[in-house]
Amino acid sequence: MLKFLRQAKDYAQEAVQAARYIGQGLAVTFDHMQRRPITVQYPYEKLIPSERWRGRIHFEFDKCISCEVCVRVCPINLPVVDWEYNKEVKKKELKHYSIDFGVCIFCGNCVEYCPTNCLSMTEEYEMAVYDRHELNYDGVALGRLPYKVTADPMVTPLRELAYLPAGVLDPHNLPPGSTRAGQQPEEIVAQHQAQKPSKEINQ
Amino acid sequence: MNLAAGVQIVSFGLLAAIILVGALGVVLLPNIVFAAFLLGLVFIGMAGQYLLLNADFVAAAQVLIYVGAVNVLILFAIMLVNKKEDFTPLPRAWVRRGATALVCLGLFALMGTTIASTPWALDPAPTVSSSVATIGAHFFSDFLLPFELVSVLLLAALIGAVVLARRDYLPTVKEQETVFSLPERPRELITSDSK
Amino acid sequence: MNPGIDLQASVIHVLTDLGVPEDLAPVLWVPLPLLLMLAAATVGVLVAVWLERKVSAAAQQRVGPEYIGPLGILAPVADGLKLIFKEDVIPAKADPLLFTLGPAIVVIPVFLSYLVVPFGQKMVITDLGIGIFFWIALASVVPIGLLMAGYASNNKYALLGGLRAAAQSISYEIPLALAVLAIVMMSNSLSTIDIVQQQSGYGILGWNLWRQPVGLVIFWVAALAECERLPFDLPEAEEELVAGYQTEYTGMKFGLFYLGSYVNLILSSLLFAVLYLGGWESPVSVSWLVGLVGVPENTPWVEVITASLGVVMTLFKAYLLLFLAILLRWTVPRVRIDQLLDLGWKFLLPVSLVNLLATAALKLAFPVAFGG
Repeated sequence: MLKFLRQAKDYAQEAVQAARYIGQGLAVTFDHMQRRPITVQYPYEKLIPSERWRGRIHFEFDKCISCEVCVRVCPINLPVVDWEYNKEVKKKELKHYSIDFGVCIFCGNCVEYCPTNCLSMTEEYEMAVYDRHELNYDGVALGRLPYKVTADPMVTPLRELAYLPAGVLDPHNLPPGSTRAGQQPEEIVAQHQAQKPSKEINQ
Repeated sequence: MNLAAGVQIVSFGLLAAIILVGALGVVLLPNIVFAAFLLGLVFIGMAGQYLLLNADFVAAAQVLIYVGAVNVLILFAIMLVNKKEDFTPLPRAWVRRGATALVCLGLFALMGTTIASTPWALDPAPTVSSSVATIGAHFFSDFLLPFELVSVLLLAALIGAVVLARRDYLPTVKEQETVFSLPERPRELITSDSK
Repeated sequence: MNPGIDLQASVIHVLTDLGVPEDLAPVLWVPLPLLLMLAAATVGVLVAVWLERKVSAAAQQRVGPEYIGPLGILAPVADGLKLIFKEDVIPAKADPLLFTLGPAIVVIPVFLSYLVVPFGQKMVITDLGIGIFFWIALASVVPIGLLMAGYASNNKYALLGGLRAAAQSISYEIPLALAVLAIVMMSNSLSTIDIVQQQSGYGILGWNLWRQPVGLVIFWVAALAECERLPFDLPEAEEELVAGYQTEYTGMKFGLFYLGSYVNLILSSLLFAVLYLGGWESPVSVSWLVGLVGVPENTPWVEVITASLGVVMTLFKAYLLLFLAILLRWTVPRVRIDQLLDLGWKFLLPVSLVNLLATAALKLAFPVAFGG
């Protein structure tokens, strides 16, 4: 009899515990309801890419000295540099330059090593095409500048995670004037310039 | 004949037709699943007849128990039988069928004569507003014994079902222990000294 | 007790005034509430589908439908239109007759059950003497349609889904009926109107919510299982059974299943509101408020306001329960089939029997509070 009673008691306790856990779960779900949505309504809203975003590579034709460093540092020797040696001025003359973004892995080595800074990263990432060969950008296509998300009148720019203050994940409806965690790039520059004179005095 | 009586007669005819056709289908159709679904239709038709007799509670109970429970369980049993089997045609099947038909006709004749000979004294019983209360009162006064007997019967059936469902009361056949082996053929390990 | 407005009498009166013969006027009245209820149930489904999508989105920190009409309220309409215009495919080896009949048998009893849902003293299609029992009886017909659909599809997933649906429906009908029986015992009537009347008079304090806390939980769990809502949606568990008995269905036949499931959910919520949350009664008794203001209760405008408040209150309670169902959907994971049957037979059934017994004892002990 006592054993049966204990069984019944245990059973009741388990039932109550299960009900409590379901209640806790419901509370969590309910709490989620008042959080703001993290949806980005893509064609109408776009995230602002962070400043270290590695997007489509921009190339300045006139700055290039055809040194082919980009080809050597590229993991797959992707950039095609077509040049001719001009004997009169004893310089290489660049004729064509192209990168196939269907093959590029956006590692950024070429940009890093380019001695004349003629390669740079842009924030463009919308490179959907109907034919993969359209992704083989020539010098002219590489020289185009992408649309800035913030300048596009059709698009509401949303700040990405890196631009948001600490503890906030949501780009929608941020209070005005809120900045992301850490220092902004211009603040770093300002700090750097403020340090420079003091260093010079020390020397 | 006013409107209500006309509606009543028409619906009686419809329901009777449904019951008759459905019942014939249950008996005669070769496809057992169709027969089971038609059985549900017959039950619904009978519930309709009860409704016409002002027995709304009985009609609802008929739907709940016969359609909702009995018929569903029959369907369940049919659908859980997994194998389609081709029966060998019996040599003299017509004898059996004829005998069945004969017995059925005899039963029908018997019931027909009983129905015809019974004086259906229709005393104009006052239409009760709540048939539930009347049924309940009968259950606990003059029909107490049958009611209790039925509940005992159901209890016995319930316990029987539990005993059947619990395998530990049934003698179990010792199963042979099977030794599981991998279907792959054993491979020799590649070691460095074998090169 | 003030009966409130009687729409039937007034419509028949207007019809006879217009020169319709006295015999014909009630006949003309009959289809009106039926059509109204059909339309109301369908619109209710549209609202429920929209709520489901929006609340689900909010629970997952999404936005949900937004561009189809303001706040996406036309999304369910678009869904329905799409289903209507879709090709109606009957699989080659399916049984065409049963395949077509299945969805109809699932949907018709659910719509018929709206006959007994009251929105006010006289705002009910028929005040049947067997009221709530009518709903339980009709709900038991639904698994036949599911079995039919599952069998006729000639698909193993469909058949398994149909069998699961039938097993689930049969198991949870019993605790549901026992929970309802406890309420019926307290109100001495099966009629939905009487059940609400028995709770009226004391505002929120008089509702069955306080007298039947255990029955309320049992009813809600069993109702969710009957509607195949998420913790119990085994018949259409998409990870294991594709879509259960709906697997082979497209177009409007699938639409009927979809419609039926939501109509059933709203119906269960409405009946929950009627049984436990005082139906059309407001949390503060309206007659008491009217008495406070000092207007006689049978003033026409007071009656109109009371009636519309009753409808609003019933719907509000039902949709509150719907909201709870959606929250539960995103909180509780799906149970296994053995857990489901365990819960039904080994937990809900004994608990509901004990609840019934306790209610009977309390009724004998405190006839004042428990409807002697």
